[in-house]
Amino acid sequence: MIARLKSWEGFLLMSLVVIIGINAGLSPEFLTLGNQINLFQLSIEKIIVALVMTFIIINGEIDLSVGSMMGLSACAFGWMVKEQGVAAPAAIAISLGIGVLGGALNGWFITRVGLPSLVVTLATLIGFRGLARVLVEDRGLTDFPEWFDALGQQGLIGPLPFALVAFAVLFGVLYIVLERSGFGRKTQVIGTNREVAEFAGIDTNRHKMILFIASGTIAAFAGLLYAARVGAVRGDVANGFELDIITIVLLGGVSIFGGTGSLTGTLLAILIVLNIRNGMALLNITGHIQTGVIGLLLIASVMVPRLKFGTREKTA
Amino acid sequence: MSAIPTLALRAVSKSFGMTVALADMTLELFPGEVHAIVGENGAGKSTMIKIMTGIYQPSSGQVEIGGAPVVLSGSKAARLRGVAAIYQEPMVFPDLDVTENIFISATDAGLILDRRSMRRRAEALIDRIGMTLDVDREARGLTLAEQQAVEIARALSQDVRVLIMDEPTSSLSAHEAAELRRIARSLATAGVAVVYISHRLEEVFEIADRVTVIRDGRHISTRPVSEVTPQGMIADMVGRAVGNYFTKMPSAAQQEVVLSVRGLTRTGVFEDITFDLHRGEVLCMAGLIGARRTDVALSLFGVHPATAGELRYKGQAVRMTSPAQAIALGIAYVSEDRRKLGLAMPLPIRSNISLATLAQYLSPLGLIDRRRERDTAMAYRERLNIRAPDVDMAVGVLSGGNQQKVMLAKWLAMQPDLLIVDEPTRGIDVGAKAEVHDLIRAFVRGGGTALVISSDLPEVLALGDRILVMREGRQMGIIDSARATQEGIMAVATGQSEAA
Repeated sequence: MIARLKSWEGFLLMSLVVIIGINAGLSPEFLTLGNQINLFQLSIEKIIVALVMTFIIINGEIDLSVGSMMGLSACAFGWMVKEQGVAAPAAIAISLGIGVLGGALNGWFITRVGLPSLVVTLATLIGFRGLARVLVEDRGLTDFPEWFDALGQQGLIGPLPFALVAFAVLFGVLYIVLERSGFGRKTQVIGTNREVAEFAGIDTNRHKMILFIASGTIAAFAGLLYAARVGAVRGDVANGFELDIITIVLLGGVSIFGGTGSLTGTLLAILIVLNIRNGMALLNITGHIQTGVIGLLLIASVMVPRLKFGTREKTA
Repeated sequence: MSAIPTLALRAVSKSFGMTVALADMTLELFPGEVHAIVGENGAGKSTMIKIMTGIYQPSSGQVEIGGAPVVLSGSKAARLRGVAAIYQEPMVFPDLDVTENIFISATDAGLILDRRSMRRRAEALIDRIGMTLDVDREARGLTLAEQQAVEIARALSQDVRVLIMDEPTSSLSAHEAAELRRIARSLATAGVAVVYISHRLEEVFEIADRVTVIRDGRHISTRPVSEVTPQGMIADMVGRAVGNYFTKMPSAAQQEVVLSVRGLTRTGVFEDITFDLHRGEVLCMAGLIGARRTDVALSLFGVHPATAGELRYKGQAVRMTSPAQAIALGIAYVSEDRRKLGLAMPLPIRSNISLATLAQYLSPLGLIDRRRERDTAMAYRERLNIRAPDVDMAVGVLSGGNQQKVMLAKWLAMQPDLLIVDEPTRGIDVGAKAEVHDLIRAFVRGGGTALVISSDLPEVLALGDRILVMREGRQMGIIDSARATQEGIMAVATGQSEAA
């Protein structure tokens, strides 16, 4: 496994260097700090959610409802502030609370009722989106408090915006959690073999509940970041983001069957996807072709032969 | 008996990696005979069936059908040559009716199924095996015996010449089992070679013409049933040579009762299990597959809680409802299934050894003390003689014996009071077996208590201070190992005699 991860991550790193080299050759703009920050900013909400999605998929689950939760939290915020007269800080807290509740709802169906996360989060993908549309319909809500928009659009530390700082902090914390903590270890063991974890006395339901609550909460947080960055919300905010997020995580080498993967891989995949899109945009290549190239990369990531355990047939 | 066998294995061997499942196996099946194959769990019966039905390819040797060498490249190829098998759990499709189930794999159906002629043929087949069964009924709701009849009819529909029946009666009632034996007999009379595999020796004596005994993947004997006695057959099954390898050690049992079990029952699975386990004692549970020994262990470990009966652990009445609870009480369970329940194969040895005791390595912030984790893993590697260059290696790449030791290390690291070990040496080589035995003995000499489930009779006799024999979910008796013999245990486990 270690060899495989190293080789896949090595491949990602090499690809990244090549892509950056090409991009830098294509345009003198590319390596400027402004372009680099911009490159992150355009997808910052997705890549924040991808960090938690890495845990979910390593754990052997999936959360398809994150895009809809981003939309719901952004719409709930807009609706409360613009149409219900709620103060923005309170609206932020309530939106985050919706994330907690939504994640807990997913977790409840998955751990207590025992439904597959694919089905549960497909249902809440529809449900959360429906709620967002009920709240905002097709109105475009805009004109949020100035400090809120500034948080999304201006530098917090020098030129670095709040969302990018949040991403960096979250990455650091989650990296330590996954690689060094008991929680991270349990995430890997449960994803590798849930029964082995249960026989070792690990409460796997509680663990999955925590992960889905974290996923819902971070998605809600990312939805608020989106509202702040764009300065407007509509019912279709973040529509379909879940697929981009899952693509990044799988491209990073996390096994869709759970168990193996790392945040380093996810980070490399993030950088590759962002740089490909940026470079192609510099070349005026359309978004569809960009998506196609990323699709090819994803297929490559799945085709990398896995080290097999347990190929020996069972006797008698 | 004609001179050309319907099907023959000629010096067939099959190995999986380092494990030899079948060695130099020779077997001849003649038309019109019921040929019983008996052997202990793991003797190689399943591998043999899989070779005859084309699921496995022999590593060496030859399969012959009608005297000519053949290569059975899969179960379909075997069926086309007239070899079919039915198993303990019949394979029927619940949403299809009986007719459709019989012709499920019909290869001559063409594009359009002629429903009426299929129905007629289905009726004829069911009639031929002497059953009454509505062929338009959905298979859902058929009894196990009826489902097996459907399977047999399916085999007959393809002009079967060799019918292999693998433990066909182990889930049937006495009446249904008698019915199935009658069907097997009548098929043989019609010229089919019937292979009959059963743990029920009385059944073998009733139905078989000839009996082949296999042990450790080798052919031991093939004789007409009239020349065989139950005692002789059991002696062949358990063998004598292996038994001498393990040496009996003096018991370390003390007075204190660590675990007291009274009338433990899990409805429909096992019932009325009663024993006391003393500190320093090794109690072995013997029995055949289906004796439900593992289920008793899983109840004691809280995985599948018992539905009735009493448990007292160190004098306190307890109800075990989860592994976490059992672990907190100092009970460890080493599973028989390394792959499924024992180890996280892709993860390092280190992470597997610390898994049941992870909380001990955590800082107040929840971070793992990796140095201590690594030191512990290296200490156990040393102590258990685990052959691995580095404890950061994935446990999945180790040999079976070393994996087994990692699994033991995981539970020994917990320093349990009661160690339940399920098939501690299955599928590992003789050297590793002796090492595992020494570990269990050292554990009880150090004040631990062990409950060992094993199908390996020499192991049971060498390790156990007492032997609890189970059969089909019932406790048949507890035998003092000083007075036990392999033959005696096997006779109790197969229902041939009562425990003393």
